[in-house]
Amino acid sequence: MTTTVPTSAAAVPVGPGLSMFDPLFIGIDEFGQPVYLDVIYRNILIAGEPGGGKSGLVNNICGHGALSDNTRLVLLDAKLVELGPWRDIADAFIGPDIDEAISVLRRLLIVATNRYTWLLANRRRKLVPGDGMSVIVTIIDELAMFSTVLGTKQQQEEFAALLRGLVSLGRACGMPVVAATQRPSWDIIPASLRDLFGYRAAFRCTSLNSSNIILGQGWAEQGYTASDISPTNQGAAYLLAEGGVPRRIKAAYLTDNDIYSIADYAAWIRRPTTGVPAGSRTDWEIAA
Amino acid sequence: MSKSSPRRFGGKSTGTVTVIEAKVHRSSARNAKMAFILTAVIVGLLAAVVAASYWHPIVALIVGALIGVPTGAAAWLLVRVWPVLRLLWWWTPETFLGVGLLTCWVQLANHTPTVVTLLVVALLVGVPAVIRPVRRQVIAWTWCLIVRHRLRVCFAQFIIANQSGSLPLILWSRPTPVGERVWVYLRPGLSAKDLEGRLDKIAVTCHASTVLIERASENNAAYLRFDIKRREVLTATVGSPLVDVIDPAAPVSASPLTVPTALDLPDIDAPTITLPTQGKPATKKPATSANGSKPAASPSSDTDDVSDWI
Ligand SMILES: Nc1ncnc2c1ncn2[C@@H]1O[C@H](COP(=O)(O)OP(=O)(O)OP(=O)(O)O)[C@@H](O)[C@H]1O
Ligand SMILES: [Mg+2]
Repeated sequence: MTTTVPTSAAAVPVGPGLSMFDPLFIGIDEFGQPVYLDVIYRNILIAGEPGGGKSGLVNNICGHGALSDNTRLVLLDAKLVELGPWRDIADAFIGPDIDEAISVLRRLLIVATNRYTWLLANRRRKLVPGDGMSVIVTIIDELAMFSTVLGTKQQQEEFAALLRGLVSLGRACGMPVVAATQRPSWDIIPASLRDLFGYRAAFRCTSLNSSNIILGQGWAEQGYTASDISPTNQGAAYLLAEGGVPRRIKAAYLTDNDIYSIADYAAWIRRPTTGVPAGSRTDWEIAA
Repeated sequence: MSKSSPRRFGGKSTGTVTVIEAKVHRSSARNAKMAFILTAVIVGLLAAVVAASYWHPIVALIVGALIGVPTGAAAWLLVRVWPVLRLLWWWTPETFLGVGLLTCWVQLANHTPTVVTLLVVALLVGVPAVIRPVRRQVIAWTWCLIVRHRLRVCFAQFIIANQSGSLPLILWSRPTPVGERVWVYLRPGLSAKDLEGRLDKIAVTCHASTVLIERASENNAAYLRFDIKRREVLTATVGSPLVDVIDPAAPVSASPLTVPTALDLPDIDAPTITLPTQGKPATKKPATSANGSKPAASPSSDTDDVSDWI
């Protein structure tokens, strides 16, 4: 079910009829205009210094996903508290456990491959809303924990390789990835993984270099640097999405209370649909 | 923008006030000469050719010269006064504004008693000064006027353009919530890349915080847009519309968690401090206990998934 693009923040159509194919409200820009993302066909990398507001943005996306029709959430959060409120409605909620993270990524990759086979059989190249297939949003907060801290070196590499596979395959089959980390330099996540994320959100950084790492080489020289964001202005970021030029935005903020109310409501409205195991089971059975 | 000539070649005429910079002046003189010769020769020859079909060739030549020389002189004059014309163009909005205001004032003063005049002026000045949005608009547009001149100062003072010293055309400007946006048409000798290295200096000259340059046209690299930023507007907290559509009366769904009791450093023995093993029971437990306590669907799909995988 799709709705038309709303004109103002006040008129954003949300509720049970929401879909991941709808533009996702994430905040306002410097002209006071609402900023929307279409996460569905893109992957977004969110980075910035600690306390910059990354998890705030991640929770916005998560909230939209939670209230969306036919959407599955796969949440990986090494910090537990940022995505923890959504654990009851998530298909998988993984804390600081790299084994589980790897296993869920493997499953997601199999689903992706199967979906492409299905698309091939249907003589198509891309999933569209009418397909009735669920959108599986993978949201990872504190990506660096999985790629550098938890598990053995080998596991970390496997995690990064699987994630790279999912990021590169997921785009056209309705399996977008949202990842947040503090500094996505090559020693934290491989450059080959970083460069696959189409959209970037750079929250405050301490140096031009860090900002360049997030947004891409050369933007700081042109004046687009997240180091000019005031440290007290949490939630302000440069968003590199449609248009090709970074835009200064302020992310919408959900308080803890808001997050839990939305999560409760989402669990409540999801009850009848996900309560029928048949529907959800077939999707996974097609996949497996 | 008259200024005394500080240049070496202006030294002879110390004390005189030059309106046009020496470099521009010299190149303008050279250009004017070229314009005179070219126009005079071309127009003269054309006129002579046309005249030759009516009169004797020698007469035609004289007629051609008679037509060519004044036309060349006109071209010379145009090129010569061009810098002044450009200067007038730069100050057009201010000139019109000034003339308009002065005319209004004189008309008002002539047609009304002094008290009424002062009252009207007080109202016209006071009301915008008191009403905040109006005052803001006035200040924003004033900045638009100022910033065009500041940008021109940038180009004239430290952005070396080309040999003839021609400056980019500074087109219109308009206020934005963060500052101003000015459209500029570059002349040969400059590119957006050249300007990018000097953004900080431009910001200083414009009394702004930062300046960004973007291409205003996909097809024309000379047409640029300067975004001058002097205010941070993104400081307020933005609410999410998701909050407005949910029903706050929805039942609480949080599954109970087994909270670890070892919450202080001494509670944890040296060998067991690895983070993953600490986190595992805290995360895995809720899913299973939720299944036990609640018939809610999502936790059950979680189990589906796990069993599918195993
Ligand atoms: N959009 C926002 N508007 C206003 N305040 C915000 C916004 N986003 C975050 N904040 C404030 O900043 C604090 C830190 O935000 P958040 O936890 O999202 O940072 P983070 O970047 O995820 O940090 P970390 O790297 O430590 O995870 C929040 O507790 C909140 O007070
Ligand atoms: Mg965080």
